[in-house]
Amino acid sequence: MPVKKEKEPLIMHPRPSSIVAALYTLRDLDTDVVILHGPPGCSFKHARLLEEDGMRVVTTSLDETGFVFGGKDALVEVLQKVIERFKPKRIGIVGTCASMIIGEELHEAVIEVQPDVPVIEVEVHAGYRDNTQGVIIALESALACGIISETEFERQKALLKEATMVEKRHGAASKEYLEPNRGDLKYKVAGRLLELIKQGKKGINILNAKKETAFMFADINLAVAEIAQKLGFGSNIINMVNLDINVGLPKNRRNAREIKDDLSQKGFEFHHIIGGLDEYPIAGNTASQIIGEKYSDYDFAVIAGVPHALPMDNIKNMELFSITNGPRQVVPLKEMGHTYVVVEIDLHPKTLGVSHIVESEFGATLREMAKDA
Amino acid sequence: MPKQIAIYGKGGIGKSSTASNVAAACTDEGYRVTIIGCDPKSDSSITLLQGRRIPTIMDLMREDVDIKEEDIVFIGYKGVKCVEIGGPEPGIGCAGRGIIVAISMLKKLSSAIEDTDLVIYDVPGDIVCGGFVAPVKKGLVNETYVLTSGEYMPLYAANNICKGLARLDVALNGVICNSRDAQNEEIIVSEFAKEIGSQLLAFIPKDVLVQTCERDGFSVIEKAPDSEIAGVYRKLARSIMEKRVGKIPEPLDDKRLRELTRI
Repeated sequence: MPVKKEKEPLIMHPRPSSIVAALYTLRDLDTDVVILHGPPGCSFKHARLLEEDGMRVVTTSLDETGFVFGGKDALVEVLQKVIERFKPKRIGIVGTCASMIIGEELHEAVIEVQPDVPVIEVEVHAGYRDNTQGVIIALESALACGIISETEFERQKALLKEATMVEKRHGAASKEYLEPNRGDLKYKVAGRLLELIKQGKKGINILNAKKETAFMFADINLAVAEIAQKLGFGSNIINMVNLDINVGLPKNRRNAREIKDDLSQKGFEFHHIIGGLDEYPIAGNTASQIIGEKYSDYDFAVIAGVPHALPMDNIKNMELFSITNGPRQVVPLKEMGHTYVVVEIDLHPKTLGVSHIVESEFGATLREMAKDA
Repeated sequence: MPKQIAIYGKGGIGKSSTASNVAAACTDEGYRVTIIGCDPKSDSSITLLQGRRIPTIMDLMREDVDIKEEDIVFIGYKGVKCVEIGGPEPGIGCAGRGIIVAISMLKKLSSAIEDTDLVIYDVPGDIVCGGFVAPVKKGLVNETYVLTSGEYMPLYAANNICKGLARLDVALNGVICNSRDAQNEEIIVSEFAKEIGSQLLAFIPKDVLVQTCERDGFSVIEKAPDSEIAGVYRKLARSIMEKRVGKIPEPLDDKRLRELTRI
């Protein structure tokens, strides 16, 4: 008798696309050009944004005729043109809902064209509840091409499984419908935080961010550390960051190094490294453990990035200042017990194609208000 | 490496009857056999399971259960392993996509297509979309057969299927004639087979016994093992199990096809 899984609850608000997740994974693997095999409009916004991060994204532009008669010729043509025009060292081909439903074999076109460089073929569509499937399918292809090791693949799979659980527990997959929310007013929250610092209260300054979003979230941790230092209470702040430069796919390590360098230059102290930029689903556990061991009597915590990945156990008695970039994350965070939740709107596009820390709204607010402190 | 065969042919021409009787005959000869029904009608394995309809892969997927091999592989006549892919009811959804998805899952989940001597993929009538050649494209089939009668329409369909196979660079291993008592049928189909670069593997005479047994949910091999028609299926089974060389078919043009049926 087949074992019935617990029926997955309905989620009405749209969820991140697995096709897009595959695109970003290919970016993390330093792919030069990706061909989207499907309709011209598929993944348009992110296809455009990824150009800012140095990865070209083109499409085979399948239309009704393509759906009905198949798209192999179109893919062959685009693959040939891509090789001619961009002379890429690594190519990706990503499926879409349309091409996958009609059974397009991405491999057939590669066999016909015979490129001299590795081609990562990702047979993915957006019909998965969890976009982490898109990452896994892309990584399976990368593994097959020999671009990542079996060890790294297993590590990524474990992280992705945990990331999915984090979203189900307290994230955007935790409710049937989540209304976007602007969060608390930044100047009010900044005011309270400054008050606590001036009173000599002790605080944990946590960066637990997802990959390149750390370029902006780190600005907040930097602002907190700098201001505390300026006001004479630098020793009351403990910094915990997920900037381990020795783990993750090539781009993640690079970015971790870039952010660490920027922070170091401003005198930021790295009291605890809680993990890498792709370890945000589990780095929170490390932070929580350290807090339980050493800092359980602290008064407040600033958590920038993915605050809902931190277990509440050792922080529930602190005043929590959480910064997220997801308007749908506000309600779940408040329900978890986060005192203040602030949203950095539209953060992701601002952290593409950058190699230095980018100013955040909350950071800017803190710095401005600290001038009068 | 098991023999992995797919039987193609016009809808209603007798693929499922042939497939299930060949499966039963091979089992009688001592081979380990797995039959995979790829038609949403899910009727490939009924006569091997005494009329029982088994749960399909797509039905289980729809219920969102954790699917294990024992949930989709069922043991039939003398140990034949039976799997039905299933799919949507007529007029809705996409059966072709169902085949693609189910074949993928089968590859991951089941040893029934590896630990065996013969795998038979019983595919839907006409290859109407990309999904229907999923078993071939996903590397699960190493021999193909086309079933036809001597009438023009089934031959036209068989020829059309050969166009598909040729486009995919897939070899055809034989043509089987399922008789409809048409005039000069055996000669016509034999000639057709030769001209497309293959050969007539067997001529199955029309026998009402096949239908009578089917109605009760049995193959003739099981219900009427000593009948003449059972003998024909046994002979076909032996032919198929021999080492067989395939060749990419050369489809005929319509004019030649019409000429053939006027022999």
